[in-house]
Amino acid sequence: MRYTSISEELEVTKFKKRVEREFEGYFEKNGFNLIEPRIFQKYDMYVRSNFRQDSSRTVKVLSGNSRIYILRPDITTNILGEIFSKWDGEPPLKVYYNSKIYLNRPDGKILENYQMGIESLGEDVFKADQEIVHMGTRLMGTLGRPVILELGSSKYLDGLFKELDLDQDEESEIRDLISKKNRYGLRIRLKELELEGTVLDHIFELQGDMREVIQRANSHPMNSEMREAIDELESLMEGSSSRYSSGEIKFDLSMLPDLDYYDGIIFKGYCLGVPNKILSGGRYDRLTEEFGLRVPAIGFMIDLDLVTRIRMEEER
Amino acid sequence: MMDNITIAIAKGRLGERGLELFKNTDMEIVREENSRKLVFKDAKGKTTYIFVKPSDVVTYVEKGVADLGIVGKDVILEENKDVYEIMDLDYGKCRFAIAGFKDRLSDKKNDVLRIASKYPQYVQSIFENRDQRIEIIKLNGSVELAPLIGLSDVIVDIVETGNTLRDNGLEILEDLDQISARLIVNKVSYRFKYDVIQKIERILGGE
Repeated sequence: MRYTSISEELEVTKFKKRVEREFEGYFEKNGFNLIEPRIFQKYDMYVRSNFRQDSSRTVKVLSGNSRIYILRPDITTNILGEIFSKWDGEPPLKVYYNSKIYLNRPDGKILENYQMGIESLGEDVFKADQEIVHMGTRLMGTLGRPVILELGSSKYLDGLFKELDLDQDEESEIRDLISKKNRYGLRIRLKELELEGTVLDHIFELQGDMREVIQRANSHPMNSEMREAIDELESLMEGSSSRYSSGEIKFDLSMLPDLDYYDGIIFKGYCLGVPNKILSGGRYDRLTEEFGLRVPAIGFMIDLDLVTRIRMEEER
Repeated sequence: MMDNITIAIAKGRLGERGLELFKNTDMEIVREENSRKLVFKDAKGKTTYIFVKPSDVVTYVEKGVADLGIVGKDVILEENKDVYEIMDLDYGKCRFAIAGFKDRLSDKKNDVLRIASKYPQYVQSIFENRDQRIEIIKLNGSVELAPLIGLSDVIVDIVETGNTLRDNGLEILEDLDQISARLIVNKVSYRFKYDVIQKIERILGGE
């Protein structure tokens, strides 16, 4: 029995290409230019600047003179390297990409996956936050199903942890419990650490309707970093509230970033009935420092295969 | 679709007890005795219960075909999937433990410690950062037998009273994670069905 035919596969590809063109057109209309990342990266350079990543997952290639290269394992750091070698922070730069990445899978096969996304570099923080979140919401809106954009800020918990006297293991344990929304587990652990009476007791109340979350957060003490997180989210809300129906955006201050270089707003896009996130992104000014120049930077990635699947289901 | 909810229940004692907590609420279901049906709906048709093998509950929830699941922490630890774990239902309490014959365990540091268990992934995670080479022998039942017949040096299993271990001459060498029934949620459902999920948390005894 054959489960797919080549003609069906070509139909899917055709459909996907249409969605791709539509999204690329939207990016270009908003002033974003296509950037083509290099496929080969120097292995030793990669290891030096990505010491936290597991380099065994990268796919290695030997060049003619026996130097080791890797096939690009991600796009953002790849294009940042390219950009920062030729750009000194001005004027603001807006790019989009739509290319494949390559990684070794645990079963020994090589994973090749398309990644599509945008990056805004050097632009004013508030302005860029609004633009990027707005664009993410717009793309999600093309799915034709109820969607939710979950918004938080890595600065809130980062700021909070600076107030607490925890060693690294304890902090990562607490972060892990928060990331599982494990309220009772968190409570027990906090009690053991004699850490009751902080905002952590109420961390899971700080999610839901935008206005309510801001209100509740304001009733707890905050240091300057936490304050910044709330201010940034609040201004985002004011700039956007007229544009979205209230159900579309939810705040979640207990949200933890997927990548540890995020420092500022972070967000994930979900679609009703689809168990994985469609879109994810955030601010990563800190990462740009590693390329020699700290500039405001924010972007997101969208899962085009998932988008294609949902839109095909909706349009048939 | 937003207020419809599907709950995966682990077949067996643990799931049955979870189901009892919904009695006398508008989410209650009536089942004929000895029914072999696997899918039930409540009177309003808004809540669907599906009965699956405990180890599959976590998969159903992660893949989003069920919004919520009631399952033991042992299964959650073994499956290690990307789901929220929002409630301790506070029953079905027991713990993971390493058990064996104390007197027969000389220093195994330089030797491979053979561990029989129904929970190979969990054993792997426990020994990951220990300076001890191990071999995991995956069994599907009667794990206590393994050290008796020389199949393994120790076992990792769930222990409630410890009677089975004692009857077989084994003793607990080390206590590991505490186990009880838990309520798990799919990450996307958590956002879309936040209000219904909070209602269910209250029904199940949460705040």
